[in-house]
Amino acid sequence: MSVTETRPEAARQHEPLNRFTRLRRQAKRLGIGQWALYALLIGMSLIYIYPFLVEVATSFKTDTEAASDPIGLVPNIFSWAAYSRLFAHSDFPRWFMNSAIVTVFVTAGRVFFVSLAGYALARLHFRGRGFVFAMVVGVMAVPGVVLLIPKFLVLKELHLYDSYPGMILPLLVDAAGVFIMKNFFESIPVSVEEQARMDGAGTFRVFWSIVLPMARPALITIVILSFQGSWNELSHFIVSTQSPELTTLTKGVASLASGQLSQGTQYPIKLAAAALMTIPVAVMFFIFQKRIMNNTQGAEKG
Amino acid sequence: MTWNNSRGWLGAGSLVLASALILGGCSGSDAEPTASMAPTTGDAAVGDLTSSSDPLTLLIGSSGDAETAAVQAAVAAWSAESGVKADVQVASDLAQQLSQGFAAGSPPDLFYMSPDAIGGYAGNGSLKAYGDLLTNKADFYGPLVDNFTVDGDFYCAPKDFSTLALVINTDLWTAAGLTDADLPKTWDDLAAVSTKLTGEGHVGLAFGPEFQRIGVFFAEAGGGLVVDGAAAANSPENIEALTYVQTNLNAGNFAFSSDLGAGWGGEAFGKQLAAMVIEGNWITGALTNDFPDVNYLVAELPEGPGGQGTLQYTNCWGMAADSPNQTAALNLVEYLTAPEQQLAFSAAFGPMPSVSSAADAWTAANPKLAAFLAGAKYAQYLPSQVGSNEVVSDLNAQLESLKGGDPAAILGSVQSNLEAVIK
Amino acid sequence: MATQVATSRRGGSRSSGIRSGERLAGWLFSLPVIIILGVFLFIPVVMAIWVSFSDWSGRGSPLSSGVNFIGLGNYSDVTGGGGLAEKNFGIAIRNNAWYVILVVPIQTVLSLFLAVLVNRAILRGRSLFRMAFYFPSVTSSVAITVLWLFLFSTTGVINKVLSWFGVNGPNWFNDPRGIVHVALGAMGVDAAPTALTSHGLLGIDWWEWLSGPSFAMSAFVLMAVFTTSGTFMLLFLAALQNINPELGEAASVDGANGWQRFWRITLPQLRPTLFTVLTLGLIGTWQVFDQIYTGTQGGPGKTTLTPAYLSYESAFINQQWGRGSAIAFILFLIIIVFTLFQRWVLRERKVSKRRSYNHQAKGKKS
Repeated sequence: MSVTETRPEAARQHEPLNRFTRLRRQAKRLGIGQWALYALLIGMSLIYIYPFLVEVATSFKTDTEAASDPIGLVPNIFSWAAYSRLFAHSDFPRWFMNSAIVTVFVTAGRVFFVSLAGYALARLHFRGRGFVFAMVVGVMAVPGVVLLIPKFLVLKELHLYDSYPGMILPLLVDAAGVFIMKNFFESIPVSVEEQARMDGAGTFRVFWSIVLPMARPALITIVILSFQGSWNELSHFIVSTQSPELTTLTKGVASLASGQLSQGTQYPIKLAAAALMTIPVAVMFFIFQKRIMNNTQGAEKG
Repeated sequence: MTWNNSRGWLGAGSLVLASALILGGCSGSDAEPTASMAPTTGDAAVGDLTSSSDPLTLLIGSSGDAETAAVQAAVAAWSAESGVKADVQVASDLAQQLSQGFAAGSPPDLFYMSPDAIGGYAGNGSLKAYGDLLTNKADFYGPLVDNFTVDGDFYCAPKDFSTLALVINTDLWTAAGLTDADLPKTWDDLAAVSTKLTGEGHVGLAFGPEFQRIGVFFAEAGGGLVVDGAAAANSPENIEALTYVQTNLNAGNFAFSSDLGAGWGGEAFGKQLAAMVIEGNWITGALTNDFPDVNYLVAELPEGPGGQGTLQYTNCWGMAADSPNQTAALNLVEYLTAPEQQLAFSAAFGPMPSVSSAADAWTAANPKLAAFLAGAKYAQYLPSQVGSNEVVSDLNAQLESLKGGDPAAILGSVQSNLEAVIK
Repeated sequence: MATQVATSRRGGSRSSGIRSGERLAGWLFSLPVIIILGVFLFIPVVMAIWVSFSDWSGRGSPLSSGVNFIGLGNYSDVTGGGGLAEKNFGIAIRNNAWYVILVVPIQTVLSLFLAVLVNRAILRGRSLFRMAFYFPSVTSSVAITVLWLFLFSTTGVINKVLSWFGVNGPNWFNDPRGIVHVALGAMGVDAAPTALTSHGLLGIDWWEWLSGPSFAMSAFVLMAVFTTSGTFMLLFLAALQNINPELGEAASVDGANGWQRFWRITLPQLRPTLFTVLTLGLIGTWQVFDQIYTGTQGGPGKTTLTPAYLSYESAFINQQWGRGSAIAFILFLIIIVFTLFQRWVLRERKVSKRRSYNHQAKGKKS
């Protein structure tokens, strides 16, 4: 068709290009440097991925083989023992369930509250807006470690210690999330809302039906970050619970690592637990990876 | 942020003030459990126990599946008999979970309490001193009762006790050409025998890198951390003991179990990474459960320059002052410390009964383990003053670098730490 | 846009009209955030400040009448005192300081390096490589620590690989020897020079301060670099992609080689990102807790004890709540000081008039 004659120019200007043309051109331009680059990149990627492959492989090995042949990726004797011990003789299913419960509630809650507050800070004018903004900024500056002891004290005073609300409520709001939503809302043209207001819609209506649907990309970012944050959270669960029924995956696997189920060094079962624990976040990662990686820098800029 | 910043600060300040008042009010009104709030131990010793229909929770620091199963079975049997529900929880970190439970006001009803922790908890009123109310009080061994008496109040019933002895792998022993006559009687014997036993893939003698094992050498040298109530960490006897251990560690016939890739001495022994270990009664349960193929015998530890010596361990059933059902808890403790029950525990995971009435039955049932009971005659125990557990932790941290370290310097620092703690 | 905003601001003081519901809505919308941040972040900090100045022993409420104000007692125990409290704090600071000194530069350089490499790869490969490098950052620190305990065990992967090169790997997580001491020992410096052992800070003599991280801590350093280099690589990548290639091309026309181009042109434009990465790195490394809790709990030989873990341990395990809170606040101060210092070091220096004119002439945002 007509495109064919103009292809060379188009190829130079537009993306994505025909792969082979690009490769050929690059190879001609840089020669051996390019091969070295790829060799280095591939080598480093392998170093980053290999530990996880070892993790999965070892979870299927026997204890003795894990000690004698740590590197091999294919077990000599394929054994389900670690997994069966994990599911049958430990509280692993309950840990998984607790983590899931907390993550679902925290993610849903965060999306809602954080977008509300972000909208208020971005668009609504009320006395105290500056105070709230200062509070959010100030809170972001406090390092998590300072909050370990005091959060425990407050939960105790409020009688929320060792309960699901105690695990969920403090995580429901995230200062960074408020920032992300605020920045996003500020980038939406005001004219859209003005129009809706003229038509008589109330503030909440404007927020809920007009602005929020437009915020889907930012909301997805919040969902991803909350999911990751609450699934991987550890110190908060240490201080907010003590009973075994409320143990989450992070706390449970940490106790495994320090030798609860096994007084010694039984690696396959520990690695099986760690691998299983990583699966949900990994799945999330692979599905949303473009968005996660493109939005991290967006979040930081805020 | 166009409006007045000072308003913001005023608002923030009033919010803080309001919340502090509310919280202060809240906590003041939900009264601390009973009059035992005042941290004087005198109050806690009075024999009025709470009673209710609440189920009991027990928190134990288990040495393995054997112990967990045994305790659960015993408690279930008692529950069936008494009609009170009770739940056994295994702690992954007993000290932390207890501390958090007490601070949160929701501790378990009964829990393992060690002599080094009891000072602190008794001091802040967390424990109920029920020792004098036990019907079988007279049956407990004197030294064990002493371990759990603070300021004249006998706080809790010792649940069992163990000593450390030398556990020897009989297969590796005979393979090295050794016989019963070669059982080590002195330090030189021990060094020689462990050298003979060091071979391909296994070391002669292993023990955990901690005072809780190395302390036996202190006792055998005629020393100890606390002697006659005074700190004596850097005595010449202790220095001699540490130097002996250091020399043999560097020679390769002694080793720390952690350096062998094992989590504790029992694992090193079970995996045959060491031909001999210094361990306590609990190793028997672990070996039966996890390493049933290893054949072993238990011998008394050799004499040092100061004679025979070993360490003794005991825990008691601590009872929370905040427990709502202390009457039932006391009943459960009496059940669990009765001779028959203690013998059953012993059969399951190894420790020795804390009541003298069970001694003969135990010796008859466990002829192989007689060395453990023999050790009770000359056993020392760890210091139990408040703050001493931190001193021992610090000592343990230094012991991990014993191979390249200076025994006199290590013990010197322990001495100054101990002196601060023993007033 | 600007005038519209101005009008609406003035309009905010009117109690009627379109904006009337807005004030209420503003407060209502922010209320959940205010309550939760206030109750679970703000008030706890205030409460902890009180506990750090009191003698609360762990039982009952810290706000009850039996708890006394003891002024700076807890703080002085930890920073002066002469006992175990001071020594533990000193050890914790030393361990964490070495951790920070090693992790922050290594992770910054490595993530920049990876970003530069990935930036030069073709599009398709780029996303694959990004995924590979970023994946460790997504996993939980607990899972990674468990994996690391296995990789660095005596019979683990790392020692196996080292044995291919004839090196007998140490028992990483159980080895309390500081690597600087070991290196010095290899060069013949076996004993501590008396000049260094006779004086010290926070209960540790200078020779111990210079011991370097232990092998166990070094394993944690490698783990930190492994898990955070991906995140920072993404930040650098975004910044690199925002750089106008014209500058670089102009420089190469002027005769600058690759290295000069990188050092003089690319790097200065990365300054804001560099600043972000360093700040985040400093804040993160001074708070290391999860990995210690899961992995070594301060051992071996207290060489992986960090102030964050010490704060937790003093309070939750040893019942020293006041001391634990004091340690946490001292740590807070340290983090603030380091962040401010780093900000000062990397501040924008006064630009000469000629340069600023050139910037504006090009029409770029600065």
